[in-house]
Amino acid sequence: MQMRKLAIAVLVALSAVSTAAEKEKEQAKEKKLKACFIYVGPVGDLGWSNAHDEARRLAEKAIPGLETQFVEAVPEAQGLPVIDRLVQQGCKVIFTTSFGYMDHTVEAAKKYPDVVFAHATGFKRAPNLATYMADFYQVYYLNGLMAGALTKSGKIGYVGAFPIPELKRHISAFALGARAARPDAVVNVKWINSWFSPPKAREAAEALMVEGNDVLAFTEDTATVVQVAARKKIPSFSHYSPMYRFAPDYVVSGQLVHWEKVYIDFLGKVRDGTYAAGKVKDVDYWWLLKEGAVEMGAQPGMPINPKFTDALKKAQMTVGGKPVAVYDRVMDLLKDMSSPSPKFDPFTGPIKDRNGVERVPAGRHMTVEELNSMQWVAPGVMGPVADEPK
Amino acid sequence: MTQELLAAALRALSLGAPLLIAAVGAIANERAGVVNLGIEGMMALGALAAFSVAVEGHSPALAVAAALGAGMLAALLHAVVSLTVGANSYVSGLALAMLGSGVAGILGRRYEGFPLLDPVAEEPFLVAAGALAVGLWVFLRFTRPGLVLRSVGESPAAADALGVHVTAVRYGAVAFGGALAGLAGAFLSLSYRPAWTDGMTGGMGWIAVALVIFVGWHPLRAVAGSTFFGLLYYLQFRLQDQGRIPVEAFGAMPYLLVVLALALSGLRKARGSAPAALGIPYRRGER
Repeated sequence: MQMRKLAIAVLVALSAVSTAAEKEKEQAKEKKLKACFIYVGPVGDLGWSNAHDEARRLAEKAIPGLETQFVEAVPEAQGLPVIDRLVQQGCKVIFTTSFGYMDHTVEAAKKYPDVVFAHATGFKRAPNLATYMADFYQVYYLNGLMAGALTKSGKIGYVGAFPIPELKRHISAFALGARAARPDAVVNVKWINSWFSPPKAREAAEALMVEGNDVLAFTEDTATVVQVAARKKIPSFSHYSPMYRFAPDYVVSGQLVHWEKVYIDFLGKVRDGTYAAGKVKDVDYWWLLKEGAVEMGAQPGMPINPKFTDALKKAQMTVGGKPVAVYDRVMDLLKDMSSPSPKFDPFTGPIKDRNGVERVPAGRHMTVEELNSMQWVAPGVMGPVADEPK
Repeated sequence: MTQELLAAALRALSLGAPLLIAAVGAIANERAGVVNLGIEGMMALGALAAFSVAVEGHSPALAVAAALGAGMLAALLHAVVSLTVGANSYVSGLALAMLGSGVAGILGRRYEGFPLLDPVAEEPFLVAAGALAVGLWVFLRFTRPGLVLRSVGESPAAADALGVHVTAVRYGAVAFGGALAGLAGAFLSLSYRPAWTDGMTGGMGWIAVALVIFVGWHPLRAVAGSTFFGLLYYLQFRLQDQGRIPVEAFGAMPYLLVVLALALSGLRKARGSAPAALGIPYRRGER
């Protein structure tokens, strides 16, 4: 009898302890935040989706209690079914990381009003749908300055993915930079109509070199152009991912992205209640050098390959009537545009397009909206450009 | 002008080489009567095998051997399924194309983003591609084993009656085709673009499949066909800013060619240029 009472007492005590533990667990769960990511490509590649995935991992480290999940290689037409699944699995914040998911994300935001959505590179927002972008145009201008200083023939080759506003903006900024350093420089563009295609990137780069272009830059998801240029001992600019190690003697600089800056800020604000479903209608990240969302260089922490420092210090350009070394100009502008209140912007008027039509009046900057819908290209850009206004 | 022509010729040969190598392999196994649509997958496996060996610091010869082996192993899987088990060889080949690309993608994750700082020169591969094509032509046309291989593809029952082991010959031909698809992959990852990326074969395996039909199962015509294809591919970029021909027309060219190849194959089949027993499984005593 005594034994039995004791056993019951022990059992009761044990169950009390376990319910307390469960309660604690539940409370912890409430404190937890689950953010989910949808990628258009495989995470293994060196490109777009890989950069988002690295940022996801950094955000997980930076925000305590953050749990993340991702789905890779999701075709753009499959956005909604994947979102359905993620919501069922308890995702409270969902990032859709490709432009093509835009309409599915808008639909999902209506369907799940309690979930916070954020769509990369898009322009449609809703009370629970924000947009975000880390843009390179400032970095492209700086890369252009260096390309203009390094070209001997005055011809710079560019392998472009698609003639869309994003690339027109980047290539135009690149050409404006090149012409600032060398007024007669041209940027010859070849389109490959693909985000990922090593053979197309290679053959386009080969064609550009045959035509006398002696510096190359590109938009494509592999380091193909960097490697092809290095074989012919031609300087090139890395794109998007760190590509320095593919050609340590020939990569000058490039563009690097830090999506984690956006993710950490966004999720931190969801966590503290600043952002919630119903509160993000006007949230649009357009993050640049100032916010640290992008970086100049072919490898983090190395803005310019030291192998090119001398050549860039020797190269002279004119700024406001005074001669300046290109190296100093690049570093000055980088510092300025990375500061809290930049004075310089590559798209400051007066700017005419390559057909001579004035696009940015004197003393004005382009707005984010104008930059996002830019169809014209700057003087110095050569080759056919689709959807160009006459 | 001369320089321009030389450059174009070099590009045509360089891009044509992987197509030619894979197509020569496919011609060998199709002339023995076996269809293998899995070239894309075998090529991916070969590319990864070669790159993984080379990036670990081994010699290019060992890397190429690994690619030959990887392609051959994958092809033998196809041979078992389609020849021994007797499953539909078109379906089996399609499965191999997807399986090979997928497996290479998964196994290759740890090699993504690594360059091969000592790329292998392209010229040896270009020479090998030409030699393989001529060699296969000589083999098929002038040697007795070549005759045996062709007879197995044209009339397996007759070959069997003469004492030829049909399945053994077909196994050998499929293995050869796989090895060459692997070699084509090795060229891509060691030389053409010395790195590994998931999806780097970029549909070249499919173009090789179409090329076999386009050139009427003839190894020497495959040299011309692959070079022509390589030239068009290069010209779509070289002629892009000449303003006369729209960019889109060049972009569509490879697909137009594939459609043309298929149409030609329809005509050819009527004339009887494809191996008569192509894609038909052989079982002694049936029919």
